[in-house]
Amino acid sequence: MKTNLLAMLFLFTGLSLFAQEKTVTGTVTSADDGLPLPGANVSVQNTTKGTTTDFDGNYEIEIEAGETLVFSYVGFEAQEIVVNEQETINISLNADTESLSEVVVVGYGEQKREDLTGSIATIEAEEIQKTPNSNVMQSVQGKVSGVQIVSAGAPGASPTVRIRGLGSYDADSSKVLYVVDGAFYNNIDFLDAKDIKSINVLKDASSAAIYGVRAANGVVIIETKGGRRNQKTTIEYDGYTGVQVAQNVLKMANTEQFATMAYESGSEPDAQFILNAMQRYGRSRINPNVPAVNTDWYDEILREGIITSHGINVSGGGENSSYSVGANYFNQEGILDMKNEYERLNLRSKLDINITDRVKAGSSFIFSNATQYAPENAAWFKAYHAVPVMPVIDEQNTEASPIRYSNAQMLGYRGTQNPFTDTQYNKDQNKVRKVLANMYVETEIVKDILTFRTSYSHDYSTIEVHNVNLPYELGNNAEGFSEITREQNNYSNQYWDNTLTYENSFGDHNLTVMAGHSYRDEAENTFKATGRDIKGIRLETSQYLDFADPASFSNRVNENAKRIYGLSFFGRVAYNYDSKYLLYGTLRYDGSSKFTKDQWGVFPSVGTGWVISKENFLKDSNAINFLKLRASYGKLGNDNVDASSGSNTINNVFSIFGGQPYNGYTSSTVYTDNEWEVVEEFNFGLDTEYLNNRLSLNADYFIRDTNKAILPITIPIINEVLRQNAGTIRNQGLELSTNWSDNIGKDFRYAIGGNFTTIKNEVTEIINEQGYINSGSAEFRQRSVVGEPVQSFYGLEVVGVYQNEAQVNADPFVENNPEAQLQPGDLIFKDQNNDGVINEEDRVFLGSFLPKFTYGGNLNLNYKNWDFSLSVYGQGGNKILNRKRGEIIFTQDTNMDADLAINRWHGEGTSNSYPSSAGLRKSWNQQLSDFWIEDGDFFRIQNLQVGYTINSPKLPEIRLNFTAERPLTFFKYNGFTPEITDGVDRQTYPLPSSYSVGLNVKI
Amino acid sequence: MKKTYKFLLLLGLSISIISCSDEFDTRTGQLNTNDLDYTDASEMSQALVGAYNVFSKIGWEEPILLGVRGDDVNAGGLGDQQPYSDTDRYIYSQSYWMYNSLWNAHYSDIIDLNTAIIQLERYREYTEGEDDERAQQYIAEVKVLRAWLHLNIARTWGDAFIYQTNNPFEEVEANGVSSKEEIMQFIVNQMDEAIPFLPNLRPNERTDFPGAVTRYTAYALKAIANLEMENYQGVADASGEIISSGKFSLYPDFYQLFKTPGELSDESLLEMQYDELGADVGGTFYYQYDPFGPQNWSPARENASSGWGFYEPSMKYIKFMLDRNETTRLETSVLFTDRGIQELNEEGYTDLPDFVNNTTQSGDVINDFERALFSSGKHYLPSVQVPEDQNVYGAGKNFIVIRYAEVLLMYAEALTRGAAGNAGSAADAVNQVRSRAGLSNLGTVTSKDVMDEKFAELAMEWGIRYYDMIRLNNYSELSYDGRTFSADLEYLPYPQEQLAALPLSND
Repeated sequence: MKTNLLAMLFLFTGLSLFAQEKTVTGTVTSADDGLPLPGANVSVQNTTKGTTTDFDGNYEIEIEAGETLVFSYVGFEAQEIVVNEQETINISLNADTESLSEVVVVGYGEQKREDLTGSIATIEAEEIQKTPNSNVMQSVQGKVSGVQIVSAGAPGASPTVRIRGLGSYDADSSKVLYVVDGAFYNNIDFLDAKDIKSINVLKDASSAAIYGVRAANGVVIIETKGGRRNQKTTIEYDGYTGVQVAQNVLKMANTEQFATMAYESGSEPDAQFILNAMQRYGRSRINPNVPAVNTDWYDEILREGIITSHGINVSGGGENSSYSVGANYFNQEGILDMKNEYERLNLRSKLDINITDRVKAGSSFIFSNATQYAPENAAWFKAYHAVPVMPVIDEQNTEASPIRYSNAQMLGYRGTQNPFTDTQYNKDQNKVRKVLANMYVETEIVKDILTFRTSYSHDYSTIEVHNVNLPYELGNNAEGFSEITREQNNYSNQYWDNTLTYENSFGDHNLTVMAGHSYRDEAENTFKATGRDIKGIRLETSQYLDFADPASFSNRVNENAKRIYGLSFFGRVAYNYDSKYLLYGTLRYDGSSKFTKDQWGVFPSVGTGWVISKENFLKDSNAINFLKLRASYGKLGNDNVDASSGSNTINNVFSIFGGQPYNGYTSSTVYTDNEWEVVEEFNFGLDTEYLNNRLSLNADYFIRDTNKAILPITIPIINEVLRQNAGTIRNQGLELSTNWSDNIGKDFRYAIGGNFTTIKNEVTEIINEQGYINSGSAEFRQRSVVGEPVQSFYGLEVVGVYQNEAQVNADPFVENNPEAQLQPGDLIFKDQNNDGVINEEDRVFLGSFLPKFTYGGNLNLNYKNWDFSLSVYGQGGNKILNRKRGEIIFTQDTNMDADLAINRWHGEGTSNSYPSSAGLRKSWNQQLSDFWIEDGDFFRIQNLQVGYTINSPKLPEIRLNFTAERPLTFFKYNGFTPEITDGVDRQTYPLPSSYSVGLNVKI
Repeated sequence: MKKTYKFLLLLGLSISIISCSDEFDTRTGQLNTNDLDYTDASEMSQALVGAYNVFSKIGWEEPILLGVRGDDVNAGGLGDQQPYSDTDRYIYSQSYWMYNSLWNAHYSDIIDLNTAIIQLERYREYTEGEDDERAQQYIAEVKVLRAWLHLNIARTWGDAFIYQTNNPFEEVEANGVSSKEEIMQFIVNQMDEAIPFLPNLRPNERTDFPGAVTRYTAYALKAIANLEMENYQGVADASGEIISSGKFSLYPDFYQLFKTPGELSDESLLEMQYDELGADVGGTFYYQYDPFGPQNWSPARENASSGWGFYEPSMKYIKFMLDRNETTRLETSVLFTDRGIQELNEEGYTDLPDFVNNTTQSGDVINDFERALFSSGKHYLPSVQVPEDQNVYGAGKNFIVIRYAEVLLMYAEALTRGAAGNAGSAADAVNQVRSRAGLSNLGTVTSKDVMDEKFAELAMEWGIRYYDMIRLNNYSELSYDGRTFSADLEYLPYPQEQLAALPLSND
């Protein structure tokens, strides 16, 4: 069978023509600045002949008279010149903002953008590098329609990336697949922006389907930088240094407001605590009814952080090889005032060699060595709740050591409250080391037509955790023990991909057929041990388990391992007629060891496109330069769930009998066999360009269903959470993006762009007797039900606040809800079913944490040597559960934000939306209602950069820039940031703004 | 040349298929229930150990919510956990997290115990002879633990569910809600089933698992369930079995009974056991006694933490004890603060015995704190007994669930309510309890004497007092310190969360 196929393929290749050849030379330059373009492609149309320009943009090529030369370069419009008598052809290429002839990486191959039938967005390296941040994906925020990035503020933390809504339920299983030089990742925090050549986001299922079971949540393909052949060595330095500051710091109730709340609460102990504080710290001279302490805890735990990056990259290439090597250093301090920082050194090399005319080989290596000191996020939570009537340091607290931090228990409060014990007595170090090694061999079995490629990647990572808790005393018998936790996590993932690609043209018929096979083996191992009573723990040199009390290890040594295997076969056919009628199809047969049932699945996809602008009636239009309609359908699996999730397993436990521990086990009570989630998506797209390609407008509409979604079901009686295939989630939306670029005169160029995305997330099916799935805790209920977004907040609706006794007594609830003991100052809930009683049946859906729309925009200006860029980002329609506030249900004697204190009801007419201080403590008002749920809409100036390029023949090319990252954010939410991954804000690390200066030098 | 590529390709494909498809069924790092060796009877006890882990692992809120409503104990003042204080004053809120938590914790434990029984039944498929008897004994033990959980549920909510499988949905479908009466009868029947298989030992006589369930634990639960049903003959019979076995006796030192020396005493019939190893030597299994403890103290042992003050012996109880001239039982049950003593003085109790003092006999000084005047002494572990390098209040202290004194008093009560007993007279039983407390013997006893004795002896323990009062419809006792009790307040409302999921109604 295979022999026959090969034989047939050879038949197509035998013919060749013979004619008179001559040599043409010339220089390729950029029309913008007249500078030479090294590495530009110069090829003879409809032949396999071609070359690339050298470092000075010069080329030389053999050609026959009458043939057409095609000059192309990434980011520029290609030009075609028919060669007649000319011997020298100098070409200047125009920059092309939406380059249609640009080649797009589509997974196991490439396609021209104009031939795409799916929805693939490309982000250039230059855009990514504008953002001073540790994580590449952070830079994508607002740049691409249909991709939601939820920022993370902590140094080295990864943002949450959602492509086209939330298709899967768990944060873990909705992770995007990253393909970095052929290896698969769930997380690319190890990459430096400077390592990257391009990012392609495969948004629709048809495009992603070639990655089958890993691709359900979209795929991001990342190519690292490589060299170009025939290019002189280029050395580039790029770096910046800046400072980060907290923005939108939440205003907390001050001592006066807090004391007022305590006095009005009707709780005697709370009033007494204020008196205790006055006795301990004296009375304020301004207001003698409050203590002379007024601590703003957020202010105390925040600091400014430095962010620095330096990178050097050397690239070049000779006749038969090209290379790129680089080193990058990144350092970021957190804005939490503790040992909280991230440092990373990356070494990288990429090599491509032509072994023979037909055999190519190459390799890429990245070594990343990062050290992260993780923040104690509990400090944010504690700082919110810590009472302002207590100072940071309390010299009277003589029992506290080594530092005399204050302890709220001294005033009578239940907790110690002081966040400084978290920040100053803890050190959480994670050393993350990662090696990505990739090698490939590519053979043209039939020159330019049939190519076999085999590629092996190994991703070896270790995460060493070293958590140190220093011992302390805090008075009132509060003591922290010295403890060290060491954790060694090893990940060894290997991937072997083989593809056979046939590519040929028959007149105007262009055909590419690819068949492939992929094998993956992902293993991880975790070893963890905890010890106490560390001798000499204050010395860093003895912060090791050897110095712990050996007896303290028992029951504190854990090891576990996981290993999963995957095997896939896949194929693709891409056909077009004159780049006018486009057809595309893929098929993938995937096996995964993660599932206990139906380990194999078939995932097909088809796509079709019609480039109307190539039809005769539009061909010569000046107004419409390009018009393409696209439609695609695809199906893919999602195995991003824990291996054999939901199956029946054993847990080791122990019990005590007569003072001695006995080993035993418990077994899962509920279990199920899971099969994978299946994503099905329809995508309809439109790509257009107008007015000499200056204006582009792209639109996509998609309907994406996650079938058999694995949802965590809280089994109501058993109260265990079980993950099982339990429903269908639909995401549908519209993505629009537009760009306009032009120049005014020779010196001034500008580009303006915008994108807008709508997402409607909806549960369309729940396979469950109850018809709904609960999540969140019982007190902060979220529910998924048909017709509503996944995990919508579910609670009562507030219609006002009782202003007086008469109003209370007029309501039926005073009688029917006697437990509420309604008072003026309590919330009035809407009796949704009008049965005269407020109960669980009056709960309604209060919105989702997923935004209904997101939008982004950018403006680029270039004037002579100056450049300026501005980008903005915003979202709307999402809700946030302000759980910092809501936790008042668990502890009532702590502080609150100023908004809650100032706006409280405290007499008739003072508020119709906030309860009284006493009311805040009542379970009636504490029931989850829209009082605790706030709007998450925001608008942000994302990035602002001004640059100046020094172009002098005597000097290397130098560009200086000033960057303001996230200088301004506008929102109403009562928190540091409205960007909350799962919409539940308990202890979110604030998002800093940063201001930096950068330098780029090219030699 | 081409053949070589093709060969290599095919070879590669076949190698990877072979190397992988074998691996598709391996589950590295996971032990599936099916992979256990059920033919190895020596591993069988591990499922039982797991069941005791389920039984002993309880949330801090469970015992305080079960016990807070009696006239022996208050929730402390306002401030933190207001709906819990409301509960103490019979103002119930179905949306309060604690109710749901208590319900959830109990029922998920019940289901976990059912799963343990299923595990044991799987071993039983292969066991023979002694091993089979052992398997049956283990199953009987788990049934006793499960019955105790059902008892708490029915006492707290009245009508509820009985689950005996790990598929409760089918059981709800088939049986619906069971009345409190039905649940108590279920407990009695379960105990009758279990008793023949259980060892004829005192729990602390067991050498395999010291302190684990025995036949007498089952009799005690049977007596309690009968008491709830007001089947006094049933109470007398079941408690009589325990008394006439002669195996049990009261631990002589009432104060130390609730401390480390009294753990697994001859008085204990059911006890949650925790470790005294200290966190420093890997000990991590303890109940968090914080809610029971005083919020402010100066411990004899440095850095032992105080508690939260959520469980305050009532002024009514203290006065009742002072009026009876109680000594050791009052001293054991109550931790006094100066503020509390001041309050007693103001109420006319000026001539107080010496032990009414803010320093315990173990040397811990209880300081004043805002929330409450007193703290529970039965849930207090002297700081000097807290394991080394462990600071949590009361850490490592066992939690006595059923003790012989309760059995004696149940027996006595049954007899005073007309039951016939063959384990001595009611007065004999009551006098045993009194004599340990340093009180004189009574000649004959009435029901009221017994109830007073129960109040004095068992206060603060598991809500025994409250469940006695609602059984006897003695609402006037519960209407104290400004509270008004009525029949409709006997049971907590079903948690809101459960109303939605189960065929329940609070109307």
